[in-house]
Amino acid sequence: MLTTLAAAVLISLAPLQGETDTTIAVPAGASLSVNNFGGAIVVHAWTQNRVKVHAEHGSRGSIEASLVGSTVTLKSSSRHGAPSVVDFDVTVPQDMALTLSGTYTEITVDGVRGPISAETVDGEVNVRGGSGIITLHSIQGSVTLADATGRIEVNSVNEDVELSNVSGQIKAETTNGEVRLTGIKSASVEATTINGDVLYEGTITDGGTYVLNSHNGDITVSVPEGANVTLSLATANGEIDPSFALPFTGTPGKHRYTFKLGTGSARMEAESFQGDIELRRPAELRERMQHKDKDKNRNHWEN
Amino acid sequence: MNDQWTDRLSEYVDGELGAGERSALEAHLSTCADCRATLVELRNVVTRAKALEDRPPRTDLWPGVAQRIGAGKVVPLAPRRRVSFSVPQLVAASLALVLISGGGVWLALQPRQPVDAGRAGVTPAVWTGRTDAAIAELQDALSRNESRLDTSTVRVVRENLALMNVAIAQARAALAADPGNTYLNLHLADTMRRKLELLRRVNAIASAQS
Repeated sequence: MLTTLAAAVLISLAPLQGETDTTIAVPAGASLSVNNFGGAIVVHAWTQNRVKVHAEHGSRGSIEASLVGSTVTLKSSSRHGAPSVVDFDVTVPQDMALTLSGTYTEITVDGVRGPISAETVDGEVNVRGGSGIITLHSIQGSVTLADATGRIEVNSVNEDVELSNVSGQIKAETTNGEVRLTGIKSASVEATTINGDVLYEGTITDGGTYVLNSHNGDITVSVPEGANVTLSLATANGEIDPSFALPFTGTPGKHRYTFKLGTGSARMEAESFQGDIELRRPAELRERMQHKDKDKNRNHWEN
Repeated sequence: MNDQWTDRLSEYVDGELGAGERSALEAHLSTCADCRATLVELRNVVTRAKALEDRPPRTDLWPGVAQRIGAGKVVPLAPRRRVSFSVPQLVAASLALVLISGGGVWLALQPRQPVDAGRAGVTPAVWTGRTDAAIAELQDALSRNESRLDTSTVRVVRENLALMNVAIAQARAALAADPGNTYLNLHLADTMRRKLELLRRVNAIASAQS
C-alpha cells in the first residue's frame, strides 16, 4: 500500500482556470485512463515516452492528473458540484493502451497502436489505428474505426457504425442506423442492426464465419470470384438479389436459401426480415460506393 | 439448417445414435457447415447447463410428505434429467443463458420430448415467456432510474426500444403463422436478446450517474 502511494505522482489537484498544460514522463508499457463528463477527448500519438496534456475548461472546472504505477489518469472535476465541460487534447506514446470514457463527450483517437476502449453516452467516437482488444461504444453518437487490427467490438444505438481497413475478429452493432464495413480482412464478422442497412466489403476467408443481420434494411455483400463459401440467405419479406449466377444446393426453406460456392468452406449468413439481400462482385460494390461518396460530397458542398 | 440431420444432433450429443447413423451423421457433418455450427451451439448449451448449480430447496419438504403418506422406506431417485433440445428449445435455452448471466433467471431443463413433438410443441409464446418477464423487470428498473439520465438520452432510448418492440411484434406475427420456422425463431430470439442488452446497458449507465 505504501509502495503504491509512493508511486503515485499527483500532477495537479488545484483548481485551474482556462487552460492547463502538463507533460508526464511514463515507463514503457504505460496506459492512459481519461474520464471526462462533458466536452471532448482527443488523443494523438508520438514517439516519445511522455504524455502531453492540454486541457481547456471553464472557470468552475478543474483537472486532476496522476501517475500511479504505470497508469496515467486524467479526470475532469468541478469545484461547485455541477459537472464541468473540458476539452482534453492528449499526446501519448504510440503503443499506449487507452481507456477513455465520458457522458456528453466526443472521443477522437488518431494514430495509436495499442488497445483502445472508448465509451460515451452522447457523442461520436472516431478512431484511426489501434491493435489488440478494441471496444468502442456510444449510445447517441456514430462510431467509426479505421486502420485497426485485433479483436474488435464496436457499437452504437442511435447512429451509424462504420469500419474501414480493419482486420481481425469483428463485431459491429447498432439499433437505429447502418453498419458499413469496407476493406475488411477477417475470418470472423458479425454485423447487425434493427433499422438500417448492412454492407460488407472484404475478404471471405476459407473456414471463416460471417453473420450479417438486419430487421428493417438491406444486406449488401461483396462476394469475390473464387470465394469458397456456403451462403445461407434468409428474408421474410424481401428479395434475394444476386448480380451473378448462384448454384442452388440446399434444401429450399420457406424463408431461407442455401448456396454453396466453391468448396463452401466459409459460412456466411445474411438475413433481413424486411429488406433485400444483395450479392455483388467487389468491383460493382466499389463503383457503387464511389458514386455514393460523390453524392455525399456534392450534398455537403451544396449545403 | 433445416436438413434431415438437424433434428438428430441432439441424439448425437447424447450418444444415442446407432453406429450406422452415427457414422452417416459424422460424414454429413464433414460437409455441412450449418450442422457443425448447430452442433457447437448445442454442446455449448449442454456444457453451460451442466455447470449450473443444483441448488437444494430452502426447506426440505420430504419429511412432512413422507409422514403423510406413511413412507418410511428409501425412495429411489428419479433418473437424472437428460439434456436434449430441439431447435426451438435450443433457442429458448440460449436466451435463458443470456438471462442467467444477468442473475435474474435460471435455466429449467426441459424433459426430453420426441423431436417432432418438440418442434410443434414449443411455441414462441412458451419459450419467450421468461425473456418477456426479464424485459419487464428491466423496463421497470429503467423507469425508476431514467430521471438520472439526460432527457435527450431518455428520448433516444425510448425510441430505440419502440423500434425493437415493432421488430419483435413483426417477428412474433410471422412466427405465429409459421411456428416451426428456424429463421423466424432465431430472429425473434436475437431481437429480444438485443432488447435485453440495451435495457441492461442503459440501466447500468443510469445507475452509474449519481
